[in-house]
Amino acid sequence: MPPFTPYPVVDLGPLMKGLVIGGLGIVHVFIAQFAIGGGMLLAYLQWLGMKGRCPNARQFIDGYFQVLVLVSFVVGAVTGVAMWFTSIQISPQTIGLMVEEFHWVWATEWTFFCLEVVSGYLFYRYGSGLDDRLRLRLLVLYSFAAWMSLFWINGILSWQLTPGRWLETRQVWDGFFNAGFWPSLAFRTVTSIATASLAACVLVNAVPSFTREERAGLIAVCARPLIFMLAMPLLGMWYFGVMPADSRRWATGGSVPMTMFLMMAVGSSLLVGLYATVAILRQRLFINGATATLLLTLAFVATAGGEFVREGVRKPFTVRQVLYSNAIAPEAVAELRRTGSAAVDPYPLRNAGQYPTPQLRLAAKVFRIQCSVCHTLDGMNAVPELAATWSIEQRRLNIAQLQRTKPFMPPFAGSAEEVEAIVQLIGWVVAGRPADWPESTDPEVIATIARWLDEAGTGPGEEEAREEGVAATAGRSSR
Amino acid sequence: MNAAFPCGFPTATSLYLVLLVVTMLLHLVFMHYVLAGVAYVAVGRLFGRRLAAACGWQAILVDWLPFATGLAITAGVAPLLFIQILYRQEFYTANLLLSHRWMAILPALLACFYLLYLQKSLQKSLQKSSWIGRRAWVWRIVVAWIALAGFLFIAASWVENHLLMLDRAAWLPLAAGDGPGFAPAGLLPRLAAWFTLAFVSLAIELVWQGRLLGERFDQPSGMAQAVFGLSPLRRLAVTALSGLGLTALFVAWYATTLAPAARAAVAGPLAGSWLWLAVGGAMVQAAVWIRAAITDRLTDRVAWLATAAWLAMLAGLLVCREAVRLSAVDLEPLLARHEESAGIGGLPVFVVCALLVTATIIWCVASVRRGLYRERLTVR
Repeated sequence: MPPFTPYPVVDLGPLMKGLVIGGLGIVHVFIAQFAIGGGMLLAYLQWLGMKGRCPNARQFIDGYFQVLVLVSFVVGAVTGVAMWFTSIQISPQTIGLMVEEFHWVWATEWTFFCLEVVSGYLFYRYGSGLDDRLRLRLLVLYSFAAWMSLFWINGILSWQLTPGRWLETRQVWDGFFNAGFWPSLAFRTVTSIATASLAACVLVNAVPSFTREERAGLIAVCARPLIFMLAMPLLGMWYFGVMPADSRRWATGGSVPMTMFLMMAVGSSLLVGLYATVAILRQRLFINGATATLLLTLAFVATAGGEFVREGVRKPFTVRQVLYSNAIAPEAVAELRRTGSAAVDPYPLRNAGQYPTPQLRLAAKVFRIQCSVCHTLDGMNAVPELAATWSIEQRRLNIAQLQRTKPFMPPFAGSAEEVEAIVQLIGWVVAGRPADWPESTDPEVIATIARWLDEAGTGPGEEEAREEGVAATAGRSSR
Repeated sequence: MNAAFPCGFPTATSLYLVLLVVTMLLHLVFMHYVLAGVAYVAVGRLFGRRLAAACGWQAILVDWLPFATGLAITAGVAPLLFIQILYRQEFYTANLLLSHRWMAILPALLACFYLLYLQKSLQKSLQKSSWIGRRAWVWRIVVAWIALAGFLFIAASWVENHLLMLDRAAWLPLAAGDGPGFAPAGLLPRLAAWFTLAFVSLAIELVWQGRLLGERFDQPSGMAQAVFGLSPLRRLAVTALSGLGLTALFVAWYATTLAPAARAAVAGPLAGSWLWLAVGGAMVQAAVWIRAAITDRLTDRVAWLATAAWLAMLAGLLVCREAVRLSAVDLEPLLARHEESAGIGGLPVFVVCALLVTATIIWCVASVRRGLYRERLTVR
């Protein structure tokens, strides 16, 4: 794989690209979990119905499946494709690498996706006219196919954070069965079951023809799988245990937003789990539509928090040790320091006329290559806002040694002149984009920045800091 | 490119090219049903409710279009995967340059998908004597035409994306935002060719769907009613023959917009034999449909022949499409990467799973058919 392939960069205006893909991902994951768990729950209900232990099972299953088709087959399918296209818009290098390494896994997942759609639609369309045994078989097949699509995609997603032995062997199965694979699969399976159970509680209340007793009976049955939520703390800890140490630190205080989102996920899951086990399963309380909806909303919040953390703790990488968040490979940084990052980008700047000097135009190009995936100039997570109070020297030092400024930032992958250009761009935006702006070409300044760049090195900050820490400890011991 | 497709390339590249064509063919089967089906219903709506009620095809289409859309999306995932392996830089660059306009296909697809479900539910509500039931006809027209506009927009966006992939010279000006934007000469004829070709597919697909659903158009039933004096089979024949004629016309127009290298690739050793296969397939279909229009009969054997000719035509056209692309893209630097990608591991698992899943899908369909038959016998 070439170290850096330039592509045109999409401008989403004030929107932060990471949040766009993150938001879409959360919706897609939640719907997908609903579909996976929904199949399992319905197969269980069908089995109970056949045993005579759930009298309204058949009627409820058919109604639930209609919702499943309308939500998961439509929104789920379209958001799945949307994830792919949006990934291309945000970071073509990252999705390109993932496709290159795992296309056979993705193709395998596709086969199960086909089975899921066909078995699901056959059930949706003809289920009411089929005998119980065939209904059960179709539901089991549907659930199996849906879960298998999770199985395959889970390997690719967990590889991004814990590529493990794949880094040395580059063999697909070393990457697929990575350290995060099993805990992530188990956790997502339980989450899917819980989501489907909660959705069932909402839907039971939405069927007008059921009496209160019938609803209570169905809710008691549909809520049973929520018992699996008791395993979530253990599975969560298992997953945490296999995370790289620096990622764990981000989530547990190293990064305040990350910690807050983790707390949001844990807190919401805890509330749902407590209510489910104590109120629904133990005390057998009836839950009405409003309460069920609230619980399902909490489950969505938990999913959103969890997905945000999963995406966030990979920083400064998008694929650990392979691609930084801005899709530049670690081995390309040294070369880009020499050549400059804008030099390898053939695509001209849009609205170049709005920048008064060539230096600012250079900065705008550098910004879109290196920063725009997570930052904007005027909108969310805007760099000028973050650096507005810094002195000009601070800006130079902090950007040159970006990975030391914030360890979840990648190293600056450009020349000293490009650092200075970015510093000038920040100053120009903070100053209100005046029509005249002086160029900064002082050779002494550039030389100082070059020295700072060299000092910081080209590796990730966390690694540098740890290595320096080890060296300092060794130094102290020897003294 | 001096050997017939897919030979003449390293094994890995050939494998990906074959997979792209085969999975694209599968996608086309469903996509054509949706595109032409939505248009068939939308146009049918303009002729009033009595005519619509008499046309069994419209009822079938309204009933099955949502599922076909789901299948078209699902089947579309695989070619999307292989295109990224084969032509990554071209595909990604086109996506990125079209940017917001390209991404607009997603909300459009979502809206169209739900409109098809709405269309289906309006079909049912027409039978009721409610307020909505009394006004449902107007809504059915509106919904059908919005859905058609949405699907045409999606189709046009795909054509635009494809043409931009091939047009490297347009990349930099488009990235700079200079000029009027991307408006290639091939856009209209290529879109028109795909659109009209979809009706050829729809005709043969409806033949089989009617038979599988137990609706024989050579027997007196709801399906067998004449519309505009045409029997159901004759209506399909007219649809298919119009589709074939117009497609030939638009393909010829599109060919005039191609670069000489692309035309040479299609007519040369790479795709020449496939082009003849496509032409042969089209001619066999034309003969079958003319005969069906004259006799108002289509035996199973002839229907199978038409189906084989249809698939051969689609395969031939898809290879010609790839030949045009291969003439514009410099594959040479990518060949080593294809080799590397193919050997990365996972192919045997894919093959085994694909076979098992195909067998399971066949089992599912067969079991449901048997199950429904048993249920009907029990009811009787």
